[in-house]
Amino acid sequence: MSDEKFEQFLKSAAQSYNAPPVRVPREEMWDAIKAERSAGPRVVYGGVSHVQTEKRFGTKIWWAAAAALLLVASGIGIGRWTASPGTNVVTAPPAPAAPVQKLASDSMRPDGPRPPGTEVAIGVPSGAEAPSRVEQGSRATPVDRSREQRMVATTPAPDTRASGERPIPPGRTPPRGATSSAYEMVQVNHLSEAEAMLTSFRTRLPSDQQQDARLAAWARDLLSKTRLLLDSPVAEDPQRRPLLQDLELLLVQIVQLSPGSTPQDREIVERTLEQDNLMTKLRTAIPAGQQGS
Amino acid sequence: MELAAYESRSPVHDLELITRVVAGDAAAEREMYDTYVDRIYRLAFRLAGDEDLARDFTQATFIRAFEKIGSFRGESSLSTWLHSIGVSVALNGLRKTKRLKNRELPIEEGLTVGSTRIEAEPDLKERMAKAIESLSEKYRMVFLMHDVEGYTHEEISGTLRIPVGTSKSHLFQARSKLRVALADFAPEWVS
Repeated sequence: MSDEKFEQFLKSAAQSYNAPPVRVPREEMWDAIKAERSAGPRVVYGGVSHVQTEKRFGTKIWWAAAAALLLVASGIGIGRWTASPGTNVVTAPPAPAAPVQKLASDSMRPDGPRPPGTEVAIGVPSGAEAPSRVEQGSRATPVDRSREQRMVATTPAPDTRASGERPIPPGRTPPRGATSSAYEMVQVNHLSEAEAMLTSFRTRLPSDQQQDARLAAWARDLLSKTRLLLDSPVAEDPQRRPLLQDLELLLVQIVQLSPGSTPQDREIVERTLEQDNLMTKLRTAIPAGQQGS
Repeated sequence: MELAAYESRSPVHDLELITRVVAGDAAAEREMYDTYVDRIYRLAFRLAGDEDLARDFTQATFIRAFEKIGSFRGESSLSTWLHSIGVSVALNGLRKTKRLKNRELPIEEGLTVGSTRIEAEPDLKERMAKAIESLSEKYRMVFLMHDVEGYTHEEISGTLRIPVGTSKSHLFQARSKLRVALADFAPEWVS
């Protein structure tokens, strides 16, 4: 009984809660509805309007997709055309092709005789003070590069009959895979040699000045090769570039150690070697079986 | 007059009306609007408590209904279908409005700092409003629809898409909470 009374009380009292006005603004709302619908997308009942379809998918997306597809297709086409061995290349071939072969032979025999004319392409003559990177960069003018390219073009192609590879005629680009593998080989040899030099540096006798001089000459030779590699496609590898840069810094420090340098100077070099974990990085970078080669 | 028109609706009439609206008959659209707008507007006003919001919600309800009527399958009555759209629009709109109001609240509170406010003894209307607003959304919805706007549990069930038993349970819970909240005004009913 009391529940019924309470319900009645509640219903009557609740009527005052957010009581709507007596007059419903029908016409105003209808006008607003009409205006909204005429401004918005046209709706086809029972189906999907064209406007909605365009809004959902967007014609711009299709255009963008078509443009992207065209770009990718042309990229693939250009890539295949330039990478094809039988394709004639009108422009001069890129300079790194020949220096790689020269570097490879050099790194395998660091003190051996160099072929005539390769001194210019490789950079620093043995025994000379290595130029700074700024000097080297400033010397690499377009004129020098074109000269270098001409030299590369006139250099006889290496005898590849033994390996079964097709010889690359002058004026043609070598296959990209062959170039990169050549750079890779040069790099591995160089890093192995650097590791050997640094090991010798760490185990040297402090009072042996002759050994210091030999190590400085060795480091100078390695420094020039490191800088060449930094300018080669090998340095495009984001993992290899920092390693080569660290190695370059360390080699500069070793080169600058004169026979009369103090133990503190050597300690600075050794500290750099330790801090950079260069030996570990070098050993990690050199594939198994290549160490000490 | 309009409510009488609503009450006299039959399923056959609704089906015919829907067919005409789907066919693009503007007069049928207007007829559908005239038939249901009062109830939708009243419910929107009860939920929002604001004339502008109630208008916006009602307009949005009919715009959406006209857009989607092609997908209406007749699984419920036209009234239930329209009301479910209306409730959905209103609740979503109120949530957005509430968020905005909450953001603005600190400024309003800041204006009252330092002023001496003398609280008047709240009358029944105020206490009732506060008590209803303190209810959770599901209880408030059922209470307003049933006890204030006179919807049946079947209609509430179809509109809110809950079982009839749940609707009854929510109403019972809402009344119980209100009874406690309004005990000052009706101590004899508080057990």
